[in-house]
Amino acid sequence: MASKSSVAADIPKLSKELCLRLLGDLEKAKRPVIYATKCSLDNAMYNPKVGYLTPGDKKVATELNVSSVKKMSRTIFMLEIILGNLETGAVNTKRELYYISKGYIKHDPKLKPLDFADQNESDDIIDFICEMLEVYREEINCYANDRGGQTYSQQLIVTETMVDGTKATIDLSKLGTSPFQPKNRPQNLKLSARKKIDFCLIVESEGTANTLVANGFTKRNNCILMGAQGVPSNAVRGWSKLIQDQLECPIYFFGDLDAYTMQNIFRTLKAGSAASLIRNEDYSAPEVRFLGVLPDDIKKYDLLDYPVKENDAQEARALKKAGDVLKNDPFFMDKKNKGLADILKWLQVNKRRCEQQSYFTVNPKDPTMPEKIIIDKIKRGHYV
Amino acid sequence: MAAHMASTQKITTSSTAEYFSKNLQQVGFSSHTKAVLTTLKEAVDNALDACEENDILPEIRIEIEKLGAGSMKNAEQIRICVVDNGPGIDPDDVPKVFGEYLASSKFGRGRCTRGQQGIGISAATTWAQLTGGKGALIITKQKGMRKALKARVEVDIKNNKGTMKDKDMIDWDRPNGTSVEFIIDGRIQLNGEAGLMNYLLGTSLVNPHLTLHYKLPDPEIPETTIERVSKDFPKIPEAVEPHPHTMKLGEFIAHSHLFGKVKTSNWLGKGFSRVGPSVIQELIKTAGVKKAIFEKNVDQLDEAEFKSLYTGLQNLPLMAPSTSSVLSIGEESLSKSIQRLGAVDYFSVVTRKPTICDFKPVEVEVAIARLQVKTVEQDTPVQVLRFANRVPLQFDKSACAIYNSLTTVNWKAYGLVQPKESLPQGPYIVAVSVVSPFIKFKNASKETIDSSDELVEEIRRALMQAGQKLSKHIRREDKANELEEKIRHIEQFGPILVEGICRITKANDTRKEKARLGLMKLLGRDAQEAEKDLESASEKLEAHLVKTKKSETVEEVEA
Ligand SMILES: Nc1ncnc2c1ncn2[C@@H]1O[C@H](COP(=O)(O)OP(=O)(O)OP(=O)(O)O)[C@@H](O)[C@H]1O
Ligand SMILES: [Mg+2]
Repeated sequence: MASKSSVAADIPKLSKELCLRLLGDLEKAKRPVIYATKCSLDNAMYNPKVGYLTPGDKKVATELNVSSVKKMSRTIFMLEIILGNLETGAVNTKRELYYISKGYIKHDPKLKPLDFADQNESDDIIDFICEMLEVYREEINCYANDRGGQTYSQQLIVTETMVDGTKATIDLSKLGTSPFQPKNRPQNLKLSARKKIDFCLIVESEGTANTLVANGFTKRNNCILMGAQGVPSNAVRGWSKLIQDQLECPIYFFGDLDAYTMQNIFRTLKAGSAASLIRNEDYSAPEVRFLGVLPDDIKKYDLLDYPVKENDAQEARALKKAGDVLKNDPFFMDKKNKGLADILKWLQVNKRRCEQQSYFTVNPKDPTMPEKIIIDKIKRGHYV
Repeated sequence: MAAHMASTQKITTSSTAEYFSKNLQQVGFSSHTKAVLTTLKEAVDNALDACEENDILPEIRIEIEKLGAGSMKNAEQIRICVVDNGPGIDPDDVPKVFGEYLASSKFGRGRCTRGQQGIGISAATTWAQLTGGKGALIITKQKGMRKALKARVEVDIKNNKGTMKDKDMIDWDRPNGTSVEFIIDGRIQLNGEAGLMNYLLGTSLVNPHLTLHYKLPDPEIPETTIERVSKDFPKIPEAVEPHPHTMKLGEFIAHSHLFGKVKTSNWLGKGFSRVGPSVIQELIKTAGVKKAIFEKNVDQLDEAEFKSLYTGLQNLPLMAPSTSSVLSIGEESLSKSIQRLGAVDYFSVVTRKPTICDFKPVEVEVAIARLQVKTVEQDTPVQVLRFANRVPLQFDKSACAIYNSLTTVNWKAYGLVQPKESLPQGPYIVAVSVVSPFIKFKNASKETIDSSDELVEEIRRALMQAGQKLSKHIRREDKANELEEKIRHIEQFGPILVEGICRITKANDTRKEKARLGLMKLLGRDAQEAEKDLESASEKLEAHLVKTKKSETVEEVEA
């Protein structure tokens, strides 16, 4: 959202305000307290009209005392590095920030007590700064690896505003078999279509997305096709949100029928996660629908499913968690998402899974069979 | 044990000396360093025993000197001299005491004396004779004698007889006492577990009533006197007869040899704990021992008869023996004595009530001291002092009941560092004393206490009680460290925090200074809080100490 990208400019102001408050308290010998949003499921709220998980009122208060003085000193130290980055436009990964902090400490022996023993320690401080200022990590110019989100379309045109204000235009129809790779700060992108786009399909498996495109999916359909590559990264989440808001086309998700996909991949894509409560607004696409694989599909298309194996630790864990999620996760508890909760319940009861690639079993001679099923399901409105 | 050997290995008295002279390694002469320690130990043990039996507060002088190269490879010639203020020895007995094996006034009496067998000092004489050619040089004077007897005693190995040479009557500047001197082959080891210092330290710890002078052949160690810290000498309780359940068949038979021509029923009644007429009735009634056996003289019994008696007794549920025969040093005396070990930060002592382990009365005492000199590396194991009947044990620790108890207590619970199944670590001395008229050793050199489950459990309980007491001090120390850490925190992070905040807010120096002062005030309050905590912990500890000082007679709470 455009409004958010302008917030980025406020971080120096926010930081200065915070520090002035700390300074004022100190001058009065009053104990300063820093409040940070509590980012966990017990502070996650879900309003079906909003569509994503939002933070509740719970705050984590850090009061300055002998035990917390170290954490506070480290926070202010890291904040200064970040403010410097924002001023010059420099960006870094968390790991780089760890090394940069080491560099400062190396050159100033007075800072020695702040030294981070390992990257976990500096990562925690960076997360704390985000929670304290209620900003995204990307807003403080700290980026993770761009992963997933490779996008194919014959209609989509992306216009990017560069840091220096110049514009770049990418016409996806000109990229041949190469995908467009979204960055994890999609707020600087403007989308348009050369022809009305009927839908956007997000496929869990990057490889399957690729196959569909190679077999002519994007030639035959006016659509956007994206590979999620497992649990969606910030780039995938922000990019999906952008597509939803700027193109106003329906978005469908196509992935495995199992508890892990439902809880960790689809939920995050649609409503964000508890760990990222403060940024779900810009990093979730509440309109996205679950196209499949649906439990009904198994019978209807006679799909090859199988029981969850004991050595499938990831799915076994997700299945176990499903009971908990159904009782405590405000997203699955809400009436609006009853259809999704029912799928989770079905998985819990039947303890089976069915992979997205099973559509290839239906007619092994026809490579476009999966495409046919997908289009048929969209037409019939067979999704949740 | 000696009696046991005599019966099962069929050693006749005349060849006893021969046997031991060939097997000196069995009784503490297995290495050059051990030879020095054993010789010293035997002489000091005897001096302490003699003083105690005659109600004399012991004052002992030890002199050890290097004279040159020894007769054996890698050995030095060493002079060891121990002088006591004891009762002295009857001149007629001198050759027996120093030159005859199994001649002892303490043998088989079931008392908690250091010496038990009548082997110790004669073995030293033999070693001196074999390596230095001179035997023992004795000066002794009993009360009322005008002059002292001075003589050299040698062992007539063939006949197990002592012989006196160069006999002389001399003036001696004390009313009574004994001086024993040996010139032997050996090596001096001062430090470490098996070192002389450990021996002297241990001996003074468990003998609070001892004044010890020593002079060692090391220019670094000046002639030293350790004054006594207690004027009460331990009362050695009356003897107790052995309990039948503690004996093996061979020992049972050997025990009868001490009695000679007495009726079997008398032997059983007099020679054992908890065997009275009712037990004899039981033996006849339930164990089916023939009545006639009890009428016979015990020296007339054959092996089958002994065996029927023995198994009958083993199968009867006899009462445990009385615990009145054990002796303790006492928490008060131990508390004073432990402070003679050097500069001690704090300590804890525990005297357990006497108890029965494996049908033998035992008493366990523990003293733990935290040393001030923290020169010891943090990860070195604690220094262990083991005692059996107040004699330091310095060899073969690994199979010892004391060592097994020490390594199976969870010391982490009391704030000590302890690697798995090992001794705890740190600058501590842990002293464990086991007293019993019937201590079972693993070997004839009396270095390893047999590790029975019951004894190990009893020692563990004592250690755990001492650990609990100690942990109060350790926790206080941890609190102090925490406070130190907090203050360091404030000093380190305070200025960094203020500087950072001021750079971001572009605050001027006046504001910076004000904020710095404010922060110091804030954190200082925290530190004061911590300090108050520490004070109240100290007060509690102080109160605890006063209580324990008053409570030497108060019984310990069971762990
Ligand atoms: N310094 C001494 N003063 C007085 N009596 C002594 C002294 N040294 C030895 N005796 C007497 O000589 C006896 C024999 O001593 P010895 O060391 O051989 O045997 P023990 O001490 O009885 O037993 P162990 O062999 O266990 O040492 C002692 O029992 C004691 O009566
Ligand atoms: Mg002796």
